[in-house]
Amino acid sequence: MDFELSDEQKDVQKAAREFAQGEFDPDLALELDQSAKFPESIWKKAAQLGFIGIHYPEEFGGQGLGLFENLLAIEAFCRVDSGIGSALSTVDLGSEVILKFGSNEQKKQFLTPLTKGEGRLGIAFTESEDGEDLSSIAAVAERRSEGYLLRGEKRFVLNASLADSFITLFKEPKEGWITLIVEREREGIEVYPIEKMGLRMISSGDLLFKEVLVPLGNRIGREGEGLTHVDHCYQAIGLKSEAQALGAAQGAFDRAMQYAKQREQFGRKLSQFQAIRHKLADMAVSIEVVRWLIYKVATEYDHGKVDPGFLFVTHLEVGRRLISVVDEALQIFGGYGYIVEQAIEHYFRDAWAIGVELGTEEEQKDVIAEVMLGPIR
Amino acid sequence: MFFECNEQQKEFQKRVREIYEREVSPLVEEYERKEAFPVQLYPILGAEHLLCLRCPKEYGGPGLDKISECISMEELNRICAGIGSGIMVQGGLATDPLLHYGSEELKQKYLPSAARGEKIGAFALTEPNAGSDASGIRTTATRQGNGYRLNGSKTFITNGTICDFVTLSAYTDPAKRGMGINLFIVEREDPGFSVTKKLEKLGNHSSDTGELAFDDCYIPKERMIGDREGGGLGQLEGTLKSGRLTYGARSTGVGQAAFDATLSYIKRTQKHGQPLARSQAIRFMMAEMVTSLEAMRYMTYRGAWLFDRGLASMKDASIVKLFCTESLQKIVQKAMAIQKNAGLMIDNPIQRFLRDARLFKIPEGTSEIQHLVIARELGL
Repeated sequence: MDFELSDEQKDVQKAAREFAQGEFDPDLALELDQSAKFPESIWKKAAQLGFIGIHYPEEFGGQGLGLFENLLAIEAFCRVDSGIGSALSTVDLGSEVILKFGSNEQKKQFLTPLTKGEGRLGIAFTESEDGEDLSSIAAVAERRSEGYLLRGEKRFVLNASLADSFITLFKEPKEGWITLIVEREREGIEVYPIEKMGLRMISSGDLLFKEVLVPLGNRIGREGEGLTHVDHCYQAIGLKSEAQALGAAQGAFDRAMQYAKQREQFGRKLSQFQAIRHKLADMAVSIEVVRWLIYKVATEYDHGKVDPGFLFVTHLEVGRRLISVVDEALQIFGGYGYIVEQAIEHYFRDAWAIGVELGTEEEQKDVIAEVMLGPIR
Repeated sequence: MFFECNEQQKEFQKRVREIYEREVSPLVEEYERKEAFPVQLYPILGAEHLLCLRCPKEYGGPGLDKISECISMEELNRICAGIGSGIMVQGGLATDPLLHYGSEELKQKYLPSAARGEKIGAFALTEPNAGSDASGIRTTATRQGNGYRLNGSKTFITNGTICDFVTLSAYTDPAKRGMGINLFIVEREDPGFSVTKKLEKLGNHSSDTGELAFDDCYIPKERMIGDREGGGLGQLEGTLKSGRLTYGARSTGVGQAAFDATLSYIKRTQKHGQPLARSQAIRFMMAEMVTSLEAMRYMTYRGAWLFDRGLASMKDASIVKLFCTESLQKIVQKAMAIQKNAGLMIDNPIQRFLRDARLFKIPEGTSEIQHLVIARELGL
């Protein structure tokens, strides 16, 4: 066991922190959040500096590092701003499916532009109202000689209005579950944007596939493998959401600490009241706990052996603690915490949106229990 | 012991629910989006006698009790907490001190028009550097000739940018910390009064919140509430007690709305081929939510009942506010956790309930202040 970051990891962390502190202007963050706009110019710069696709092989434009290093960058970004950090974290959403199951041709075509800031990716899997039930999928891909003909509707698609391509899940009557790369410019795709409470810089929407034809070469991996791809993808996305959560919790904590040291009431700094000190202590405990849980799972992921039970233990703990840390941070700010001008206000909204990405407690406990007890008979 | 509303109260609840559903519901979406208070509601609710419920008939109000006010506030907040904020101030902080400590002349001048909704009231205590610590305010009222010259600034003022008059706290004697404060009625037209900013907030978007400045604002001495200098904070004692109980009713209203929306969601949403309502975990969450709601409701109405009999202590009121606002957080958090992606969407009221409810732990004494008050009243 080794509980220290390598020099390389520390370098990534430092570079990401410096980039975020230099580029994530608080006024810009506020404006982008309020107007639900993507941080275009920051994204381009981040790509130029190699922050997108840190974990892709160098031949496809990446840094040849692990997902862990990518998570360290996401954490550092979200610490400075939860909205901008999360937006940068999700520009290559779903790329792990191509990375693990795609052909070299697909990797070159779809991953390289992501690393250059010339393309964005989204995922379109779910169709259910809660965005997590994959059992009721009705979207159909029909294999024809000229390609797959797609029909159906996908809900809560992240990057819906931004992505140039989507990783999609369809059922082909003979082949079973398949994942396909669908370029946005293909005819027959309609986007219905959804306005959200949090993570407003990331566009969400429903996608309608009205007889969309994609070449056979757009299928990732083999037929029938679709759900395996989705599982793998959710592992990577789950870890990225955890890194966003950790960064957001740390960012909220930093701000609460600073405020508590500076704000005076009853002739004393807030930081001199026992109740406030204990709140800050609780928050610090939460951040330490989830940091080491996340780093452990990230290390496992990079070694190709994620324990699904432990992954969901982490999701559950991160989700709970994120919400409580950000909520307490807001409370320390009192009335000011409720005002849009203070970053903590959007940290609160973003925390809930990140928490949703991690899944519900019910879902998490179902998985943990199933690993321990087997399925309910 | 008798734990039921009487016929009159049941009738009242039915009536206010109908009025709020008819007059308020259709405005919610538009004004939440605009982040503005629908001021046209004031004369409408005034005509229905729903603005200053405890104001006696001789001053234009219906002369009802605290229980009725809680019923009304629960029903209004069930529909919209933001609009509830503005209406609560009108019949609470803005007019209560006047009703209890104002001169006959002041009462006649301001109460009937407030009760009818012709004039909008606000209450200004909090300042940029004085929130929980009310004695820390720096606004001053300096005696000059036949009046007072006011200087200072106020923030987080509900109805701040739309008010016609504001009940203002200022030091008449800054040397007497806490004890040298008085309340004054300042009119919007008084020279030297200005609205400096409209504040954007996490929630309660349809309530108006502003920053006010008083720059050598001169008012006649008759606008002071009470007939001697000092003791203004003491005049707020009853008002704060009443307001903290109202937060119980507001929390119950928002909690009920979140519960109702979640109940309907889990019945209509399928997962793995079954309605969510079949999940044991979800059923437990619903059971916990309704248990909290019932406890909140009884705490609130018991507090109101005590208040109507002059028996409610500040401890009673603080317990109600602390318990109800904190329990509400757990209710809306569960509602959000159940609805997940759907709950985050702007056109789903669940995310509004979460943002709106979050406010309640802050004004009229944060949860931390309620703890301090309760501990103090335990004699500690």
